[in-house]
Amino acid sequence: MAQHVVRVRELVRQFGTRKVLDNLDLDVRRGEFVALLGRSGSGKSTLLRVLAGLDREVSGDVRVDGTVSVAFQQPRLLPWRRVWRNVSLGLHGVDGRAVADRALAEVRLSEHAEAWPITLSGGEAQRVSLARALVREPDLLLLDEPFGALDALTRLAMHRLVEDLWQAHRPGVLLVTHDIDEALQLADRVLVLDEGRIRAEHLPPPRPRRHADLAELRDRVLADLGVENHEAA
Amino acid sequence: MSIPTLAVADPPHTAAPPTAPARTPRRRRLPNLLRWISPVGLLLLWQLASSSGVLTEDKLASPTKVLSAAVDLAATGELGDAFAVSLRRVLLGVALGAVIALVLGITAGLSRWGAVLVDPPVQMLRTLPFLGLVPLFIIWFGIGEEPKVALVALGFSFPLYLNVYAGIRDTDPQLLEAAGVLGYTRWERLVHVVLPAALPQTLVGLRQGLGVAWLSLIVGEQVNAQAGLGYLINNARDFLRTDQVVVGLVVYAALGLATDAVVRAVERRALRWRNTL
Ligand SMILES: Nc1ncnc2c1ncn2[C@@H]1O[C@H](COP(=O)(O)OP(=O)(O)O)[C@@H](O)[C@H]1O
Ligand SMILES: [Mg+2]
Repeated sequence: MAQHVVRVRELVRQFGTRKVLDNLDLDVRRGEFVALLGRSGSGKSTLLRVLAGLDREVSGDVRVDGTVSVAFQQPRLLPWRRVWRNVSLGLHGVDGRAVADRALAEVRLSEHAEAWPITLSGGEAQRVSLARALVREPDLLLLDEPFGALDALTRLAMHRLVEDLWQAHRPGVLLVTHDIDEALQLADRVLVLDEGRIRAEHLPPPRPRRHADLAELRDRVLADLGVENHEAA
Repeated sequence: MSIPTLAVADPPHTAAPPTAPARTPRRRRLPNLLRWISPVGLLLLWQLASSSGVLTEDKLASPTKVLSAAVDLAATGELGDAFAVSLRRVLLGVALGAVIALVLGITAGLSRWGAVLVDPPVQMLRTLPFLGLVPLFIIWFGIGEEPKVALVALGFSFPLYLNVYAGIRDTDPQLLEAAGVLGYTRWERLVHVVLPAALPQTLVGLRQGLGVAWLSLIVGEQVNAQAGLGYLINNARDFLRTDQVVVGLVVYAALGLATDAVVRAVERRALRWRNTL
């Protein structure tokens, strides 16, 4: 088994004449949690779609070694299938109900297994989407701002949940976000995407992390993103 | 994409009115009863006009006359027979039309070539006033059951086709993308994503189509029918039995309402995933 689940070299993705991804290199090791930061429109989703195999109009070398699951910013559940069916559909050769029940227990939604998706809150729907991604036991889990639409408290609860799930299943994770604290809290490695390339890489301190440990690193990442820090200046 | 835009009457969300909250039954019942005041009043007026001689029986029989005619026709079995024959024509025509519309609609909705080959001719045929095809149908099918069933099938299939096609084309691409990433097979994508996505619009088409189907039946039965409600009405006309004519019309109306109620029930059950808020 290769050491890397993602290996990308000189990836170029153009829309018209504009190179949204411009000679991008990226590695993700097996079981590694990588966060990808970038301004809105910097090409984060574009990169993720390439890795998910949803966009093949690219040049360069893209290798994804293993199975891939995605949780999108919108949960994208089938409104006409009950929650547990949403989790298990697309799995073959297993007892879908049992697998779904186990995954729903992990995201603490057991009592909603029979519910219709329309009855779920935003955070609950996003947890179903996570459960659905995880039951596929992916080698690579792609998360595209999955908490962007959630309120702050729910988002914090989701961070803890994602970290627990990652510890339990150990997929390689590429978490796309524009929330610095989220990235620093969760990732082994924080990458900054700018002008089509990975412009910077930061390594947060070992876990468990306390908020205070991250303050100084936070300023450096903010600087990479072009945000002035007035207190430091 | 250069697919012609469709003229679909109702957006799907108007198909099933949201169920009323359960906690205000009393406030809802009263207005429903109030709505019956003027229809009952008109019925009384009609009866009054008949019994006072203002409205003569050769123009329009009184409600009580109509009622007794209905009882008589039912007792002799004529009404039941006519009803069965007409219902059979509609059911056959609807079944035939449904197969045609679903096959064509799904073909056009699912494949690019299907859309290119199927949709243009259907859109062109749709502009024909299809009830005007009756003479041709008689030449082709004679005067038996076939032209009547064919007319119902034709009338029913256009609205259904248009709505099935539109429903499939409107499937949320984000859901299709998710299905792709999640490893759905083609079959799973069809059964769990595309067809359920098209269902609300399909049911709108079903309802529109059934309305047209009854109309087609009535027109078809005016021509050389040897049995059925249309035959009953034509016979009654020849003997100036306005009471029997009205009985036939009322049965037509009741059948139309009954099929609509059936579709509503199907809708409530099939679309319950969105009525649970
Ligand atoms: N299908 C597309 N056609 C044209 N431009 C696109 C398309 N998808 C994305 N883009 C452009 O590429 C840029 C990066 O988009 P995206 O990857 O969604 O950014 P991010 O996720 O970082 O906010 C944006 O300027 C966007 O307008
Ligand atoms: Mg994005």
